[in-house]
Amino acid sequence: MSQTTEEWEPKIVALVCNWCTYAGADLAGISRLQYPPNVRLIRLPCSGRINPFYIVKALQHGADGVLVSGCHPGECHYISGNLIARRKFAFLNNFLNYIGIEADRTIFTWVSASEGDKFARVIDEVTAKVKALGPATRLIKTD
Amino acid sequence: MNDIEKNIREEAKRLLDENLVDLVIGYQEGTLPLQTAPVFISSGDEVDKLVFNSCCKQNLAIYVHAALKQHHQAQERVKPEDKKQKVVGVIARGCTSRSLVIHLQEQQYLREEIVVIGVPCSGYIDKNKLAEKTDGAEIVAGSVDGDTVTVETAKGTTKLKLDEVLAGNCLTCAYNNPVISDFSAGEIPARDCADEFAEVDEFAALSESERWDYFSREMNKCMRCFACRNICPSCYCASCFAEQSQPEWVGAGINPSDNQVFQVMRMFHMAGRCVDCGSCVEVCAEGIDLRKFLKKLDQDDQNLYGHKAGVKLDEPSPLASFRENDRETFIFEPE
Repeated sequence: MSQTTEEWEPKIVALVCNWCTYAGADLAGISRLQYPPNVRLIRLPCSGRINPFYIVKALQHGADGVLVSGCHPGECHYISGNLIARRKFAFLNNFLNYIGIEADRTIFTWVSASEGDKFARVIDEVTAKVKALGPATRLIKTD
Repeated sequence: MNDIEKNIREEAKRLLDENLVDLVIGYQEGTLPLQTAPVFISSGDEVDKLVFNSCCKQNLAIYVHAALKQHHQAQERVKPEDKKQKVVGVIARGCTSRSLVIHLQEQQYLREEIVVIGVPCSGYIDKNKLAEKTDGAEIVAGSVDGDTVTVETAKGTTKLKLDEVLAGNCLTCAYNNPVISDFSAGEIPARDCADEFAEVDEFAALSESERWDYFSREMNKCMRCFACRNICPSCYCASCFAEQSQPEWVGAGINPSDNQVFQVMRMFHMAGRCVDCGSCVEVCAEGIDLRKFLKKLDQDDQNLYGHKAGVKLDEPSPLASFRENDRETFIFEPE
């Protein structure tokens, strides 16, 4: 890469639930809250719909960080989607770290539709965390 | 012939002769010394082929699944009044019986479609450890007598202690008797085994970059022959993500990253479903120690959800269930 570290901006993929976090991001926008533009939101029906593969593939194809966010436990639009997802993420998070992927590359959080300010803070802090790690070097597909 | 072999042969003969099963799946002598191969017996006259010893490595549950799935598919287009049930008998030790439990939990077949001939098992011989002890020389003959393994190579005869060459998973296995069985060919006391997660804790104590170096080095050896997937009793899907082309989860080329992604995802699918039978390690042509990584999922399964794969028939798998108060220490909260 020809860019220097100062110029380098991380690419963060955010896999978010349609009913809570996406609405929360909407609220952050309507409230004109500022947050870093490093995040690319991907809207999914539910955090339970997030195939763990999406996270691994995002890392493989050059995401410097992956943020996964859904409704708080007990507030799922589909009753228990996020509770099922929570177990999947617990396994995946531990496993990725166990094989040597930095712990801050994959971040899981809950943001509800009314938490526009929390969404902005999450993006702020996640971007800072990933910036501190530097560009991803592990699991990346190079030609 | 030991007592266990005598018992399983008698039981298999009775089941076949009385038409209680259509097929018995077991082990027979292999074509190489200290090896056995799976055998499929459909007539009472052939039961003398059955053996059971410390060289029986495969987990036979995958063949039970294959035989029954094939039968179910063949029955799909049969008129309801002409449908037939096929019953498969299987020689099952601890890990095989746990795999059968997983199949039953995942509703792959009914309990009445299998007859479990339980055998006690104190472990099997690991080909890698054996090769190490014999300096990789070709084994021309071998026998196991009690706790002693006699190996004859071109360089001479070596006598080894059985414990020295038992597979790593057998040394930490406390399921020496099957968890479900319709017939028991004998019982042995459970092994007083070492801490099964000692290796995991040791690996987790390394730094992130050391762990990644080890993982990527091991995965670089992988040639994606899919032997680990094909032998695994929990990997029974008719179509696997590894061969899917839309979307192409795993690239078809020789990129090391695709090896890593394939292995990460295959192992992730084992969360709460791996019975630690060691078959994937046994068949790996490159000698990759997949168990080191699979055990981590097993440890999380036990520590986070108090579950052990395939031990209790009425206990749902961790990823098919949840509790309101599941631990969520990994959830990030902004300041």
